[in-house]
Amino acid sequence: MTNRSNRVAVAGVGFSEVGRRLPHPDDELVRQAITAAMADGGMAPADIDGIATMGGNAMAMGQLLGIVPLDYFYSSTLLGPAFVEPAIMAISAVASGLCHTCVAVRLIRQFGGANRPPEPERARGPMRVAGDNQFSAPFGAGAAGATIGGFQMQRHMHQYGTTYEQFAANAVTARSHAALHPEAIFRDPLTVDDYLASRFVSEPLRLLDCDYPVDSAAAVIFTTPERAADRPHKPVLVEAYALSAIRDFDMSLIEDFTWNAPAHCAEALWSRTDLSPSDVDTAQLYDGFSVITFQWLEALGFCGRGEAGPFIAEGNTRLGGRLPLNTDGGACNFGRRHGANFCIEAVRQLRGEAGARQVPGAEVAVWTNAVGCFAGAVLLTAG
Amino acid sequence: MFDDLDPEALYPPLPEPSELTRFFWEGVADRRLLILRCEACGFYVHWPRHVCPRCLSTSLGPAEVSGQATLVTWTFPSQPFDPYYQARVPYALAVVELVEQPGLRMVTDLVDYDKGALRIGLPLRATFREVAPRVVLPLFAPLPGA
Repeated sequence: MTNRSNRVAVAGVGFSEVGRRLPHPDDELVRQAITAAMADGGMAPADIDGIATMGGNAMAMGQLLGIVPLDYFYSSTLLGPAFVEPAIMAISAVASGLCHTCVAVRLIRQFGGANRPPEPERARGPMRVAGDNQFSAPFGAGAAGATIGGFQMQRHMHQYGTTYEQFAANAVTARSHAALHPEAIFRDPLTVDDYLASRFVSEPLRLLDCDYPVDSAAAVIFTTPERAADRPHKPVLVEAYALSAIRDFDMSLIEDFTWNAPAHCAEALWSRTDLSPSDVDTAQLYDGFSVITFQWLEALGFCGRGEAGPFIAEGNTRLGGRLPLNTDGGACNFGRRHGANFCIEAVRQLRGEAGARQVPGAEVAVWTNAVGCFAGAVLLTAG
Repeated sequence: MFDDLDPEALYPPLPEPSELTRFFWEGVADRRLLILRCEACGFYVHWPRHVCPRCLSTSLGPAEVSGQATLVTWTFPSQPFDPYYQARVPYALAVVELVEQPGLRMVTDLVDYDKGALRIGLPLRATFREVAPRVVLPLFAPLPGA
């Protein structure tokens, strides 16, 4: 069977439960997410013949849920642009005809920092670090808040004059969107002063610049436009997609801390469509750290290079503004779903199902993942 | 390497050198900064790799560099993972660019700096510090008068 049009549609989306340190095993989160996506798409396991995942193993997921045989399976190494990586593998597998219906999964659990289980106190002596990390860990690198968030935010502020108040405006805007989303975790109003009072995680990076670690899984079912027709929801079409890796995956060694993989990725994305930035009705731009969103706004051409701070502070990214941004509240308020939330939010906006946070008449949405060494972006349109 | 440790002292995460990386840490122990360099085209390769990405030669060897560098970016981590740095927060984690070659970068810590004077391009020089008993790391300090 071939996919004659090479076009791809979204047929179903779903989340598992979300929470801090959920007691469920990984398989249960995966079951919940894929089951929810199948229910959303009016599908059964027999309708799916491909699985692409970041987190866990695609073949094992197929066996777990009776999605066998698989005509396509992809399990990420984890060193890539989060949900957009398995999503683009799924999209390209459907576009090529390798399979006809592929579910993309992001399973993610809390890790790191204060949430690590306590280690036996120095029972084994100092930590020993092999491989490339021997050139960074001895200096106290390691936390992504420092080597991605801190390094890039510092550079953006010094290079462009971006201010804490502009980062605050972004946090306040995101929270105002979360307040309109019944599934968001943090929904209470946030002020600029609240942001400025939040503690430094890695100065200049503050707590409210960071995503909120949670346990969850998310699933999105990609299929052919023909198979997406006559489903419970209006189909959403994939217009263009791009992946980019610009160097080895160590984020502290990127050549340009404010203009890197997203810039390359955005150029590729726009080269594959007749649409342009001015056609986009809503943008869902990755925000593992807030400065990543700033870089995507610039890379995609929604504002000039270095102008994301003023662009946000002027209100352009609010609901009702020129480019409603991260309308689910973003990872700071909706939880660290690693971009799966932004794919799902873009789909909901294009279906017209976003409730109080609906962007009126939304027909074109872009969602993105990651920064630095690697990135991915997908442009979606209402079917 | 890094075997003669004081059981009572707190140490940062310590390198576990391989055949490919041992020269770097032996150089540091001698207070010299050695970077792998392509013997065919002269390109410096850090972090160490078996192949030169510019000319694909596999003949590379350690070469001493000046220790002169400029500041690329920096941050003050408050929540490091390990106890040594937890006891030293906030410290100045930095990326520096060695003057020998555009884009030749290292991760390091800054010392002897004036926080308010840190800026992109600030001239720096390597300084070798015993950060824990018998463990030396290459750190960087602003050039006097910079």
